[in-house]
Amino acid sequence: MSAEVAIAARSLTKRYADVTAVRDLRLTVRRGEIYGFLGLNGAGKTTTIRMLLGLIRPTAGSVEVLGEPVRPGATRFLRRVGCLIESATAYPNLTVRENLEMQRRLTGAPPEAREETIERMRLAPYASRRAGELSLGNKQRLALGRALLHHPDLVVLDEPANGLDPAGIVEIRELLRSLSREHGVTVFMSSHILTEVAQLADRLGIVHEGRLLEELDREQLEAKVRAFLEIGTPQPVQAQAALAAAGFPEAEARPDAVHLFAASERTPDVARALLRDEIPFTGIAPRREDLESYFLRLTGGKR
Amino acid sequence: MRQVLCAEFLKLRHSRVPLVSLVAFSLGPLGLALFMWIAAEPGRARNLGLIGAKASLMGLAATWPSFLAMFAEIVGGGGLLLLAFVVAYLFGREYAEGTAKVMLTTPAQRHLFVLAKFVVAAVWWACIVAGVLVEALLLGLLLALPGFTPALAVTALGQTLVLAAVAFLLTTFEGWIAILGRGYLAPLGFAIGTLALGDLFGHTGWAQWFPWSIMSLLTGTAGPRTNTLPAGSLAVLALTCALGIAATMAQLRFGDNTQ
Repeated sequence: MSAEVAIAARSLTKRYADVTAVRDLRLTVRRGEIYGFLGLNGAGKTTTIRMLLGLIRPTAGSVEVLGEPVRPGATRFLRRVGCLIESATAYPNLTVRENLEMQRRLTGAPPEAREETIERMRLAPYASRRAGELSLGNKQRLALGRALLHHPDLVVLDEPANGLDPAGIVEIRELLRSLSREHGVTVFMSSHILTEVAQLADRLGIVHEGRLLEELDREQLEAKVRAFLEIGTPQPVQAQAALAAAGFPEAEARPDAVHLFAASERTPDVARALLRDEIPFTGIAPRREDLESYFLRLTGGKR
Repeated sequence: MRQVLCAEFLKLRHSRVPLVSLVAFSLGPLGLALFMWIAAEPGRARNLGLIGAKASLMGLAATWPSFLAMFAEIVGGGGLLLLAFVVAYLFGREYAEGTAKVMLTTPAQRHLFVLAKFVVAAVWWACIVAGVLVEALLLGLLLALPGFTPALAVTALGQTLVLAAVAFLLTTFEGWIAILGRGYLAPLGFAIGTLALGDLFGHTGWAQWFPWSIMSLLTGTAGPRTNTLPAGSLAVLALTCALGIAATMAQLRFGDNTQ
């Protein structure tokens, strides 16, 4: 494995009885990048993350993290890895400070790391509060703080924005971006908030029904998303029919709008077709697909 | 190991469970003392509406030897159940509270967590045994039971400690069951099941070979009471303890954690 690769998964497969959660998954995450791991519920994201961290054993295939093979009982690589898996959990009877102290001891971080983390995650007002009494957002901050406390080289985050308010989401986004850009930390994150991932990730992996459908960087994504004309109209179904009759078959009716693909250069023709059939419209504007639309198109999901 | 042990003790901070377990177990000697009082004062007990006649019929002698022998049985038999609860709590809470994934994604070697949790269980159990020993002594003095001698005290202390140790050796499988069942219920069910099986085998000729029946040799519930176990029984106990620890370690190392 190259020194430039933080995570390398080869032919990773996990079967449970007659269900294959992940099949033949190949994944390469480069050091220092922010990798967005996307998929619908049940696509195999969390199973993959658990295999990357050695929490479950692959049925077939192998994983290397930061150059070390992940095998049953192997924990040395975790010295350089911080993680948050699915829900933010903590020992409910312990205070925020005690939860972080335990993590500090188990990761061998220096004594000052605990208070630094409390400051960094803005947990000072809650430091003496028991974790069981924290709000969901502060529990998430505690879990993120625990993942970052020992200054890991790789951070694996499963839904890091869960429970955070909009300001908290921006704050965590900036923190992760700064970790990656200024400290060379590799961030591997899964999230169902695609706009969040779109703003943050350098590269994306899209997983569907246990398979990695596509791996692409920002430029590749930009090249793949489609341009379209958004036509504002109170009669989208009639507009779609009128456009189809006028030779624009790639029109999709949306609430109060029609999205017309492969017609970016033909705005006047579109307007003429609508006027001819007396379809009222409020405007025609060129647009580009966002990550969400691209993702749904790729996975066959509905908007 | 030191850091893992510190972390495991830290997990109990602010928890009421250790205190609750001590209070619950202290009810045993208290109940025993009540029986002793009824046996010593059947007339007054009958006047108060307590079960004086029944206690007398049981042939209960209100003396120090009788009191301490029954106390040792409580520590042995009751200890099996209480320790099952303690071990189920230490291992099962990681799954019930969703913290197993936190524990298993730290760089500490997984077998160290198993060892540390059993050390915590041993210390917890030792504190409870020490607590109820003091309680029993005070209750005996309060009841002014006859027949106390220093030699009796030493023998009773030895018996109690042996039974406490045997109870501990028999509870390592609960750790494995707690991880396998991802919670508290399965190990408690396992403890009740083995207790029942132990009683069953205790009434056969196999008491000295079935781990959970060996206790009955020491308490006298499976025939004449003995203070020393045959070498075979000691080997069975040691093997049971070692297998339980090994199974727990293997489960944590090789089992899937899908919590």
